[in-house]
Amino acid sequence: MKERTPKNIFIQGAISSAFIADSIQKHSTKTDIGGHSIFLGQVRADEIEGKKVVAIEYTVYEEMALQKMHEIREAVFAEYPLTCMHVYHSLGKVAAGEICLFVFTSSAHRKAATEACSVLVERIKAELPVWGAEILEDETHQWKVNQ
Amino acid sequence: MKILFFGQLVEVVGTKELIIEGITDIHALTSSLHQQFPLLAQSKYVVAVDQEIVSGNQHLHENNIVALMPPFSGG
Repeated sequence: MKERTPKNIFIQGAISSAFIADSIQKHSTKTDIGGHSIFLGQVRADEIEGKKVVAIEYTVYEEMALQKMHEIREAVFAEYPLTCMHVYHSLGKVAAGEICLFVFTSSAHRKAATEACSVLVERIKAELPVWGAEILEDETHQWKVNQ
Repeated sequence: MKILFFGQLVEVVGTKELIIEGITDIHALTSSLHQQFPLLAQSKYVVAVDQEIVSGNQHLHENNIVALMPPFSGG
């Protein structure tokens, strides 16, 4: 297997639908792919004690997160026969309704892509040193807790 | 030694980064920090030394970078 170096997965602000569409389009030349699986995390406008979440502001321990993501990427590539894997996570402020996480896996047959995508999302949420502050409509905030 | 704070811990200690000298292990570091920032003692966090999460005590060197990290909440 070819050596992979840690890639930057972080994008300042929301992940645009144009970026996602473009990312899908780029795979049309890879004709050994038979299935893609995509997970999109969207900022939810939860209501906390009568106040709505208007955005999440993400911060990161970047060096550690990129190294950890590299380990996760290698482990998932080793376990599933994937053709491609792309992961993007927002940093800074992302408004409610916008996309903050984009995980995209591709394989010859669907099962590897869907299973790997699901494993990646779970590991990203559990293992990457990233923190989300939920910004409320009165400009106060509270710290997000992953379920 | 450089100490980094993340997430809600930045608010608890009032800074993202501290330089502390003369500390030889993690227990000594956390008890010193808990004395200086009593709210930190009530916060949930894990410790990473040079980006590796450490459970239990460990000897520290002046050139280690120690991070105090509250529960992750990315995605």
